Amino acid sequence: MSKRNDKAQFAGTESELNAMTTELDELNNDVAVPSMWAGVSRMIDGMRGDIAGRSTSRRSFLMGAGAAVAGGATLIAVGSTPGLAAAATRAESRLHVADTAMFPPAGYTGDLAVAAVAASLENLAVFAYNAGLMAATAGKLGTVPPAVATFATTAKSQHTQHAEAWNAVLKAHGKKAITATNPTLTPTVQAAFAKVTDVTGLAQLALTLESTAAATYQAETSKLKSTAAIALSASIEPVEMQHIAILYYVMGMYPGSQTSAGSPLAFSSTAAAA
Amino acid sequence: MTVDPRALAELLEESQDLQADALRPTRAALDELVDAAHSSGPEDVTSNQRFHEEHRRELRSSFAGAALLGAAGGAALVGVLASAAGASSSKDIQVLQTAASIENLAVATYKTALTLPYIGGATANGVVTKFATVTMGQHVQHADAFNSAVRSLGGKAQTKPDPAFVPVVNKAVKSLTGASAATGTLAVVGLALELENIAAETYSKDTSLVAKTSSKELLASVMGIEAQHVAVLLAVQALLNANAPQLISLSEPATVEALPAAAGSVGFPNAFYKTSSAAPASQGAVK
Repeated sequence: MSKRNDKAQFAGTESELNAMTTELDELNNDVAVPSMWAGVSRMIDGMRGDIAGRSTSRRSFLMGAGAAVAGGATLIAVGSTPGLAAAATRAESRLHVADTAMFPPAGYTGDLAVAAVAASLENLAVFAYNAGLMAATAGKLGTVPPAVATFATTAKSQHTQHAEAWNAVLKAHGKKAITATNPTLTPTVQAAFAKVTDVTGLAQLALTLESTAAATYQAETSKLKSTAAIALSASIEPVEMQHIAILYYVMGMYPGSQTSAGSPLAFSSTAAAA
Repeated sequence: MTVDPRALAELLEESQDLQADALRPTRAALDELVDAAHSSGPEDVTSNQRFHEEHRRELRSSFAGAALLGAAGGAALVGVLASAAGASSSKDIQVLQTAASIENLAVATYKTALTLPYIGGATANGVVTKFATVTMGQHVQHADAFNSAVRSLGGKAQTKPDPAFVPVVNKAVKSLTGASAATGTLAVVGLALELENIAAETYSKDTSLVAKTSSKELLASVMGIEAQHVAVLLAVQALLNANAPQLISLSEPATVEALPAAAGSVGFPNAFYKTSSAAPASQGAVK
């Protein structure tokens, strides 16, 4: 691959791209999000036969999901290393020390255990992106390209929606929402974030998180029992993979899953699964 | 911008070598398929026929959901496609054959596109050329994997492209004759985008339809790659539409800094991957 050396400036058409993105956002809100919540609702109905839990009507679930979307949820990082937390907002930096061996919590079995792990991974991603955005705003990462900032903001929003979807499933089955970050991976992410000094380092950390999430969903898609749970997992994995592709692109690398040597992969791997 | 064919060949060769790690789970899944096929009982013809009939009804919605492919008269093919295609095969075989047919069509489309000067020629954008070349190779591997799975289950390999979309793709390719480089590139990107999205949506949907774990694993290992193709094509399409083809570039931090803010998110417009444009599961089954 040859390199371009002409530093190209983008001028005059930002509004076109913004308009396009706005249209896509509206389409997402008008079509994809309601469709997804309907899918999650069906998932809950579908899982009833497999999972013993408190009966929750579709209506009450949808109301709960709406509240979750509107209000958001406080994230709690598991662990006591302050690196990641220090860069996050006050609401998202409270530490909650949990026993790794007790995660998923007792009573979260089968598909609900997967839902708990998935929610914890999504929480960790939200936490990391938030910490990165805060560090960038504070000027700790040097110059942040606009596309990178938009990437982080949008990816964080989507991970928030993913966490809400899994937590809605948990709550509909009488379980508490998982508001903690994944206990196994949080210390690693905290340690990695402490070493981040620029945008490239942050992008590499994000790449690790996205790869873990995508691999986990890929692995769980074939292990989940509920058809609806499989569908939800399969609707999220491709999005995490898209995050990976664009992360590579903004890092100036081939925009797709690849080996450490940079060779594109035709099949995604589950090696990084949580 | 020019592409060094030798370097590209080396890259592809290296990719094939290093692909072994990623393929290991897929091969394990294929081995598992063989075991499962040997231990399974006779095909449930009634169940398979019912599955086929259910998905036959989805043909219309498939065409309705695909803007470019649907608009080109695909609905007229419903009657033909809804015949007895694959009705006697198992659900998994039909799904995997359909997947292979989509991959075959994608390979043919990229192969044709690469003959165009503005996609595969000396005047083409190097990133676009490399993407089309690598992606075509990946679709070849996907088709091989799906057909290996089909054969493992006792079915016939699907070597033909998805019949529903062939005339439409042909028509789209024909319309490129005489097109300017800018117009032609956008048209090719649009066509590829739609094909990739149909593939990703189809596999995402089919993971919850197939019965065997190994089928789920194979579909799951491919759908994310197709979704990545979609993300890249969305970004490329946006930059072309914004008259900024010079920003379709890799390896230069300066280029990343010049990217508009919207370029960071245009590749993944939805938090949850839709399946409204998914091809019916039995659409590409071998007749």
